[in-house]
Amino acid sequence: MNKIIQARLLQITALFLILQTLIITLAPAVRARTWAADYHFSQWIALGLWGLFIARAHYDITRKLPDADPYLFPAAALISGWGLLTIWRLDPSFGARQALWFGVSLVVLILGTRLATIDFLRRYKYILLTCGVFLVALTLIFGTNPSGSGPRLWLGYGDLYLQPSEPLKLLLVVFLAAYLADKLPSRLRTIHILYPTVILSGIVILLLIVQRDLGTASIFTALYTIIIYLAIGRKRILFITIFLLVLVSVLGYEFVGIIHARMNSWLNPWDDPTGSSYQIIQALIAIANGGIVGRGLGLGSPGFIPVAISDFIYAAIAEESGLLGTLGLLAIFSLIVTRGFRAALRAPDLFRRLLAAGITTYFGVQTILIVGGNLRLLPLTGVTLPFVSYGGSSLLTSFIGILILINISNHQDMDPAPLLKPQPYLILSSLLFTGLFAAALANGWWSVVRGADLLTRSDNQRRMIEERYVARGLLLDDTNSVITTNKGQIGNYSRDYKYVDLASVTGYIDPIYGRAGLEASLDDYLSGLRGTPVSQVLWNNLLYGMDPEGLDVRLSIDLYLQDRVDEMMVGAQGAAVLLNAKSGEILVMASHPTFNPNHLAESGGKLNADPLKPLLNRAALGQYPSGSITQPFLQALFGNNSVKDKDLIQMYKTFGFYQTPQIQLPVAGVSLEADLKTMRVSPLQMALASAALSNHGMIPAPRIVMAINTPGEGWVSLPAMGTPFEALQASAADEAATFYIAQNQPYWQQIGLAQEGQSSFTWFIGGTPPNWQGTPLVIVVVLEENNERLAQRIGQELLVDAMNP
Amino acid sequence: MTALLVLILRIALAIALYAFLGWTLRTFWQDLKQQGEFLSSQKKPGIHIHAVMENGKDVQHRFVQSEIVIGRDPKCDFPIIDEAISSRHVRVSYHHAQWWLEDLNSTNGTFIGKTQVTIPTVLITSDQFKCGGTTFTILVDMIDEKLLAS
Repeated sequence: MNKIIQARLLQITALFLILQTLIITLAPAVRARTWAADYHFSQWIALGLWGLFIARAHYDITRKLPDADPYLFPAAALISGWGLLTIWRLDPSFGARQALWFGVSLVVLILGTRLATIDFLRRYKYILLTCGVFLVALTLIFGTNPSGSGPRLWLGYGDLYLQPSEPLKLLLVVFLAAYLADKLPSRLRTIHILYPTVILSGIVILLLIVQRDLGTASIFTALYTIIIYLAIGRKRILFITIFLLVLVSVLGYEFVGIIHARMNSWLNPWDDPTGSSYQIIQALIAIANGGIVGRGLGLGSPGFIPVAISDFIYAAIAEESGLLGTLGLLAIFSLIVTRGFRAALRAPDLFRRLLAAGITTYFGVQTILIVGGNLRLLPLTGVTLPFVSYGGSSLLTSFIGILILINISNHQDMDPAPLLKPQPYLILSSLLFTGLFAAALANGWWSVVRGADLLTRSDNQRRMIEERYVARGLLLDDTNSVITTNKGQIGNYSRDYKYVDLASVTGYIDPIYGRAGLEASLDDYLSGLRGTPVSQVLWNNLLYGMDPEGLDVRLSIDLYLQDRVDEMMVGAQGAAVLLNAKSGEILVMASHPTFNPNHLAESGGKLNADPLKPLLNRAALGQYPSGSITQPFLQALFGNNSVKDKDLIQMYKTFGFYQTPQIQLPVAGVSLEADLKTMRVSPLQMALASAALSNHGMIPAPRIVMAINTPGEGWVSLPAMGTPFEALQASAADEAATFYIAQNQPYWQQIGLAQEGQSSFTWFIGGTPPNWQGTPLVIVVVLEENNERLAQRIGQELLVDAMNP
Repeated sequence: MTALLVLILRIALAIALYAFLGWTLRTFWQDLKQQGEFLSSQKKPGIHIHAVMENGKDVQHRFVQSEIVIGRDPKCDFPIIDEAISSRHVRVSYHHAQWWLEDLNSTNGTFIGKTQVTIPTVLITSDQFKCGGTTFTILVDMIDEKLLAS
């Protein structure tokens, strides 16, 4: 029966891993969205090795240990295979090393099945522990770190590294189980039995603290306490240790730098997302990116997680397999804990019982520590996830542990040893299950509840990847001429800015400088999140782990007129806006000096520091004193009467200068009402106010976005965001416009000057007369210098051009 | 197309993972069911106890439960009025497929023949034991052979 169960579970495991390997192979084709892709084949080697060794080990276990627990080995086989493939997918060279260690571990396991008994462990307990401690002590002198820096916890020989603290965990469990099984039946007082173990374990833990291997030190403390608790059965042991641990962490937080840093990045990770909490935040973003179903193997970006192959392998698995996968993973760890405790309770003698319970605790506690660390449930300790993480010493130790458990569970025909108090075993197993359950809940919290928040963070580097793989929508002018498009192939798409002079308006997207202008305010449409049916967004996310293709956006800009202005404004500083006075459509929006967004990578830093502020869209964000340019508005309101301050305020109010224009563009805020000294207006506001004169007193709602090209319905018009309003009566507006009509010209116009400190500004406004039969238009030009001639030339030529299309 | 194929594989992958866990639970449940059936199939034979007191009076009872305490206390399963018997004198119980006799630290002891019972002792049909002045004879029901075989 056992043999059948184990064989069936291993068959399912093999199927699971074959599917994983196949998906990793095909993943590049999904990314490239074509069959002609660069497929990954090397991980089949790992699968082949896994299959060979597992089959042989299964054969040996079922023959030599026929009554052994049939769940422990398949569970270990599944998660070790999963880990091996994950590491290979992240980095084939580390994957190959892990495969080598996997082979070594399985050879040890296969040879170990030949052992009829494990009593020799009991006999040689002192020698074993001494050897273990000796090896750890050696790292104080000869210790190295394979990565070249960091704590020196390894012993190296050539290319081979061993971390002696890993096997020492197992040796400590063996020693404590053997020692307590020997001494407890004697009628010595408990304290006399315990003090040698306190001294020995204390030495080991001190050694680890000196080594700065705090994670392993906390595991040793937990293991020691729990084994003593299981043997003696007094709850106060647990309480004393918890009290001591809290005391040590509080003291450590106050006085020890590394503990302070670790605790801080755990308690307040959001304060320092690029420094000490970089790792945990990147891990949480990866978990959030996985969501419920995961991005699919080979389709996520776990490469962004620091140390993804060892400390953060749980986060890497969560990103690609999702909550669904990690819940399964946690369930398998729960299975190991369940079967381990069952083997402990059924063990034929006290030594085996304590040993089995100790090893199970080792698996359980270490899993909870590192998974909890990945999920910010616990402070981060750099221990490995048993069987899964990269690390030969850890893998070998885990497999020896599982071998001992299998061996102990093989004595089911013998009666279990009497159990004095079942309570410690119940409490401990429920504690471990609670820990694993809490991890599952925390995983759900980050990947579902907080998922959206985490993914929109600016330090989520996955958006950059997405921009390279998914075509962004185009920006078009009113006749569908291209303003901004994409260049490159799938996998290295980038933005191609065809009409460079409009850069201050259309903006840019950039992995370093983020996004600006229309690229920022229309991001939802350009990245396909809005305007695409929700089902299609979800489907794309499910298939590719990415958003759908972006939607093209048609602007109201007229590239011909825009080009005319930009030509005339070369070398000048200032802005110009040409507006359809009736519909509010912005035909021209110029801001100079501007920049070339195609060269942002090289020049971005300089642009940011440039005193001329080329990145600023002066037409919408520039704020200038109005000076004498408000004459026509005062004329419209008060005729030739002289005006006081309160009349000025009324004029500003009437013409909407205290309102922020409602438009899909970043626009300047509004000056405080009633404070005439600091009153500033933007060229866009000025254009809207002028529109009242050419549009019989009505101020239109401004528009720059005309329509989006949706996949379902084609071009869909986008209405203006604001509403038009009547600033003054038609007769008053018409009268004022007529008053300013230039001699022998078919338009009204006004030139104004403003002075502020050393700076002067020249305004030009003009528009079609009230009796104009064509499209009513207004133009605003502002120059950051005293240059009436240029302002007039730009304004007049453009207005004439626009009036005679 | 590629993505659709991979999506199908990913669904199969999730099914395989949960099949592993599902199969585990299924075998757990089967194990539980088997154990339940095994325990309920263990038929316990009834026992007939015949007591003869010093004065020749006799009492007899038939029991179907698996534990019978004999003593002077009327709360015992088999109360008997005999000055030489302790209030809870001896226990007859069924476990490990046998009826066992176990002295409950009685004042005057329990004897099979001349031998005092100090450790639990197996009883078979027509065995006799003596507490105080009373002699007990037991008769164990025959069990259906077929049930035992199963």
